[in-house]
Amino acid sequence: MENINNTYRESIISEATTLRWEVGENFHDSLMESIYKNASEIAAHSVTKKNKQQNHTFDQKLDKIITSRMFGFPAMFIVLAVVFWVTIIGSNAPSAMLASVLIDKIHPWLKEIAAAISTPLWISGLLIDGAYLGMAWVVSVMLPPMAIFFPLFTLLEDFGYLPRVSFNMDSLFRKAGAHGKQALTMSMGFGCNVAGVIATRVIDSPRERLIAIITNNFALCNGRWPTQILIATIFIGGAVPGYLAGIASAGAVVGVALLGVVLSLVVSWGLSRTVLKGEASTFSLELPPYRPPRILRTLYTSLIDRTAIVLWRAVIFAVPAGLVIWLVSNITIEGISLAEYFINWSNPFGLLFGLNGVILLAYIIAIPANEIVIPTILMLTVLTLGMNSVGAGDGVMFELESVNATADIFKAGGWTLLTGINLMLFSLIHNPCSTTIYTIYKETRSLKWTTVSALLPVVMGFIITFFVAQIWRLI
Amino acid sequence: MSNSLIHNCETCPAHNVGNLTKLGINMDNFDFVVALAGNPNTGKSTVFNALTGLKQHTGNWPGKTVTRAEGGFLYNNKKFKLVDLPGTYSLLSTSTDEEVARNFVLFGQPDVTVIVVDSSRLERNLNLVLQVLEITNRAVLCLNLIDEAKRHSIIIDERKLSKDLGIPVVPTSARYDEGINELLKMIYEVATGAFVCKPYKIKTESKQVKNAVEKLNGKLLQAFPKLPNVNWVALRLLEGDQEIINAIRSGDLGSLEIKNFIPLLEEQT
Amino acid sequence: MNNPLETLIIGTIILFVLCVLFWPGKGILANWKKLQKQSLKILIEDALKHLYDFEDKNISSTLHSLSGYLSISGDEAAKIAQKLKDISLIDIHNEKLLLTPDGRTYALKIIRVHRLWESYLADETGVKEKDWHLRAEEKEHYIDQEEANILAARMGNPAYDPHGDPIPTASGDLPVKKGKHLTEAAVGKVYKIVHIEDEPIAIYSQIVAMGLYPGMQLKIVEVTKEKIKFVAEGEECVLSPLIATNLTVAQIIIPEKIKKDFKTLSSLKIGEEGEVVGISRACRKQQRRRLLDFGIVPGTKIISELQGFSKDPIAYKIRGTLIALRKQQTDYIYIKK
Ligand SMILES: Nc1nc2c(ncn2[C@@H]2O[C@H](COP(=O)(O)OP(=O)(O)OP(=O)(O)O)[C@@H](O)[C@H]2O)c(=O)[nH]1
Ligand SMILES: [Mg+2]
Repeated sequence: MENINNTYRESIISEATTLRWEVGENFHDSLMESIYKNASEIAAHSVTKKNKQQNHTFDQKLDKIITSRMFGFPAMFIVLAVVFWVTIIGSNAPSAMLASVLIDKIHPWLKEIAAAISTPLWISGLLIDGAYLGMAWVVSVMLPPMAIFFPLFTLLEDFGYLPRVSFNMDSLFRKAGAHGKQALTMSMGFGCNVAGVIATRVIDSPRERLIAIITNNFALCNGRWPTQILIATIFIGGAVPGYLAGIASAGAVVGVALLGVVLSLVVSWGLSRTVLKGEASTFSLELPPYRPPRILRTLYTSLIDRTAIVLWRAVIFAVPAGLVIWLVSNITIEGISLAEYFINWSNPFGLLFGLNGVILLAYIIAIPANEIVIPTILMLTVLTLGMNSVGAGDGVMFELESVNATADIFKAGGWTLLTGINLMLFSLIHNPCSTTIYTIYKETRSLKWTTVSALLPVVMGFIITFFVAQIWRLI
Repeated sequence: MSNSLIHNCETCPAHNVGNLTKLGINMDNFDFVVALAGNPNTGKSTVFNALTGLKQHTGNWPGKTVTRAEGGFLYNNKKFKLVDLPGTYSLLSTSTDEEVARNFVLFGQPDVTVIVVDSSRLERNLNLVLQVLEITNRAVLCLNLIDEAKRHSIIIDERKLSKDLGIPVVPTSARYDEGINELLKMIYEVATGAFVCKPYKIKTESKQVKNAVEKLNGKLLQAFPKLPNVNWVALRLLEGDQEIINAIRSGDLGSLEIKNFIPLLEEQT
Repeated sequence: MNNPLETLIIGTIILFVLCVLFWPGKGILANWKKLQKQSLKILIEDALKHLYDFEDKNISSTLHSLSGYLSISGDEAAKIAQKLKDISLIDIHNEKLLLTPDGRTYALKIIRVHRLWESYLADETGVKEKDWHLRAEEKEHYIDQEEANILAARMGNPAYDPHGDPIPTASGDLPVKKGKHLTEAAVGKVYKIVHIEDEPIAIYSQIVAMGLYPGMQLKIVEVTKEKIKFVAEGEECVLSPLIATNLTVAQIIIPEKIKKDFKTLSSLKIGEEGEVVGISRACRKQQRRRLLDFGIVPGTKIISELQGFSKDPIAYKIRGTLIALRKQQTDYIYIKK
C-alpha cells in the first residue's frame, strides 16, 4: 500500500516535470498577468481617487534637486561632512567629562577600595587596571559619538534620503561591476560593519552580494572614528594654523571616509575583473516617498536601543582586551615584558610602513574590537619609553585628559606627521574586527570568502602604507 | 458566516486599549503565532513595534528588515507570538533576499497572517495579498499608511474590499498608533475562529496555466484528498519549487497543510 | 633606515613578483593548478558527451571523430575508447562507437550539470553570454550529482537552459524533441527559436552577436539555398544556411503579436508615458521575475519620471511607485506610446 502511494506520488512529480516542459517558460508570465488583472479589478472596485492633479509635487521637486548634476554629489558630500562634523565637535565635551568621571575619579577610588580590603596586587591589576579601565575607556570614547551619530543617521534614513544616495551612486557602482544597493549597505557600514554585512541581503545577485560583503570593511565604522578623530586632531590639526585646526581635522576625517568609498569602488572593480568575474547585472530599487522624520521618537529609539546595543558589544570586547594588555605588559621574562619583546622585534618592520612596533601590537590586540586601538597604543608607547610618571603605570589603559599630553607622548615616542597619516590610513584599511569576520562567515558560509575578506584589506593596508611611507621619505 | 465583515464600533468594550498588554520579547507558552507579511517599506516593523512594544529598526527604504524578529503580546487573555518578516514582493520568486519571508509564510504555519499594505499603492500590493490568500485561510489585511492615502485623496472602501477579498480589512496608521485596536480585534477573531475567512482565489484566463493546474489538481487530490490549497501546490510544482517537491515525495504535504487549515471553530465542535 | 628609494624599488619588485605568482586566474600558481586538473576523468567524460551528441544527431561516431573532438592523437583516442569499453560505458561495433545504457546515463548526468551551470551563470551571475559555454565546459567535471541537485533546487529546478535546451532531470529524463532546423522552415510562417546550438563556438558567437535568442519570434520571408531571410522584432535578418542549421525553431500556431513597431522603455523621454506590451524573452528568470513583481505586465502604464545626472539608472513611476531601473533592464521592456 505504502509502496503504491510512493509510486503514485512520484508520478505526480514526473507529470509536473512533463507539464513544465510543455508550458515552457511562459508559465510564470501568464500567472503574474492573471494576478495583476485580478488585482486591478479588486482595486478598481474599492479605491476612488479624487482630484488627480496635486500629484505629490514636493517629492518630485526635491528629487530633481537631489539627483541633479549640480547638486547630487555636492549634497551627498555636504550631508556626510555635516554629520561627521557635528559628531566630532559635539562629542568632545561629553567624552572628556565621562573620562574624568570614569577614569580620573572612579578608577583611583576602586584602587583605594581594593587596597583597603587588601586584594592581592595581581587581582586588582587584572580587574581594575585591566578590565575596568578597558571598559571605561570604551564607554567614554564611544558613547558620545554614537549617541550623536546614530540619531542623525536615523533621521536621514527616516526621511528617505538613503535610497536617493543609492540612486546617485549606481552609475559608479555599475561601472565597477557592482550593485547600486552597495551604497545602502555601505551607509549601514558607517554605523557598524556587522550591520552592513547583514544588510547586503538586499542584493539578490550572489556575485554582487559577495563584492558588497568584501568591500563593506571600507566603510569606516564606529569603532574606528575615535582613532581617526584623535589622530587627525593631533597631527593634521597640529600642522595647520590654530584657527583652521577644527576644519582641517574634520576635513581629514571626511577625507578618509571618502577614501574608503573610493577604495570600495576600486576593489569592487578589481574583484569583478578577477576572482568574481562578471558584469553588473540588474538594479531595481524602489524610491519611497519622503516622510518627515519624527525627531523625538528617533532620538529616543536610537539612544536607548541602537547605542546601547553597540556599546554593550564594545564593552564586552574591551574587558578581555584590557586583561590581555595588562598581562602582556606584566608577564616578564628576564625583566622584559612580553609586550616589549614583540615591540622591539617588530619595530623595524613597522617602520617600513611608516608605522611602528607599538601600532602593530595594538592592532593584534584590538582584533576583537577596533575601539581599543588608541588606548593600547598609548599604553604601549609609555611602556617602551619607560615614561612611568605619566598615566597610571604599566599595563594600564588610560585616557590623558588633554589632547596635548597625548601629543607629547606620541612625539616622545618618535611619531611624526607621517606616522599619524599612516595610522589613519591603516585604521581604514585593515582586517575587519572579529565579530564582522564571524558575521561574514555566517552570511557566506564559505571559509574561502571569509579569508579573502579578512586578508585582502590588511594586505592592501600594508601595501598602501608602504608606498606612502617610502614616497614621503623620498620627497 | 453570520459575522458582519467589519466592526466599526469604537465604543464596544472589546475595543478597550486595556485589553492589550505588550509583552516585549516574552513569548513563552503562546496560544497563537501571527506573521506580518507585506511588500517592503509598508510599515510592518512599525506595526510590530506598536503591538509588542519592542524597538525593531524601521527606516524609510525598502529592505530595512532582513532577518525575522519575534515578539509577544497579550490580548483578551490570549498570548500571541508576533513575527516581523522582511519585505517581499512575491512568494513566487526564487530570490534569496525574500527567502526568509517566503519560507515563514509557506512553512512556518502561522495561525494568522497579517498582510500589511501601503494604502496609496493598493493595486500593486494586492499582488502579494492574492498570493498569500492562495496559501492560507486565515489572514487579515492591514491597510497601513492610510494617513498618506488620505493626503493624496485616495479613498478606500474597506467594506467592499473586505467582501471582495473575504478577509477582515483594517485601515491603520501604525506610526501614529491609529487603528491598532481594531487590528488586534480582527487578529483575535480570526485566530479564535470567530471570524471565518473566505479568501479570494486567483482566477486565470490563460488556457495553458488552467489546463496544467487542473491536470495536477486532479492527481494531487487523489494522493492528498484533504489538501485545501491544492491550487497553490500545483502552481508551485509548475514553478519547480523544491520544497513542495520534497513534501510530496515524503508524503508530508497532507499532514502539514491540513493542520494549518482546520479553523479553530471546527476543532472545538 | 636605509635609503627610501632603494626600499621603494625593492618593495615594488617584491610586490610585482608576488602578483605574478599569485594573481587569481592568471598567476603562475593558478596556471599550475589548472594543469593539474587536466585528467583522464575529463577526457572520459568529454568522450561520452561527444558520443551522446552524435547519437542525438543520428550520426555515428568513430575513433576519428573522437580524436578530433578531444584534440588528441588517434592512439590516445583508441586508448580512451578501450578504457570506456572496459568499464562498459560503450560498445564498439565495426569501428563505430556506441553508448551503452550506462554510458548514456553518465553522459546525461554530465549534460545536466553543464546546462544547470549555464543556467546558473545566466540567471544568477553577471557572466557574459559568450563565456557561459566555456565556463560550463570546465565546471561540469567538478560538480557531483548531489551538488547539482542542490543547485537545481535553489534555482527552482529550471526546465530549460539559457540556450533553450531542456535540462535532463536527476533521473536522466529528457522531453521528446520538437522543432526543426531553421533551414527547413516554411516561408510566411511564424516560428519561435527553441534552441541555439552552442557549438562550434565561432558560429554560436556570430548568432549571439546578431541578437538572436531562444524564445525569439521569427517570420520567415525567404528560404533559398544561399540564404534564409526573416523578420525578428521588427528587423530583417539574413542568415547563411550554414548558420541557420544551428538554429532550431518550432512553429507557432497562433502567433503572438510580433514585437514590431514597439519601442523599448529605455527610449521613453522624461515625462512621457508608455504602455507595456511585453518583456523580451532575452530577459530571463530572476531578472524577469523582478520586473513582473513590480507589476510590469502587458497593459501597465509607465511614466519615465526621474533621471539622475548619469542618465542611467532612471526612475519610473510604475503603478504608483517610483522604481529605479538600469538601462540594461529597460532595454528589455517593450512599450507603445
Ligand atoms: N505616515 C506614515 N508613515 C508610516 C506609517 N507606518 C510606517 N511608516 C513609516 O514608513 C517607513 C517604513 O516603515 P517600516 O516599519 O520600516 O517598514 P517595513 O515594512 O518594516 O519595511 P521593510 O523592513 O524594509 O520591509 C518608516 O519610515 C515609518 O516611519 C504610517 O502609518 N504612516
Ligand atoms: Mg521592517
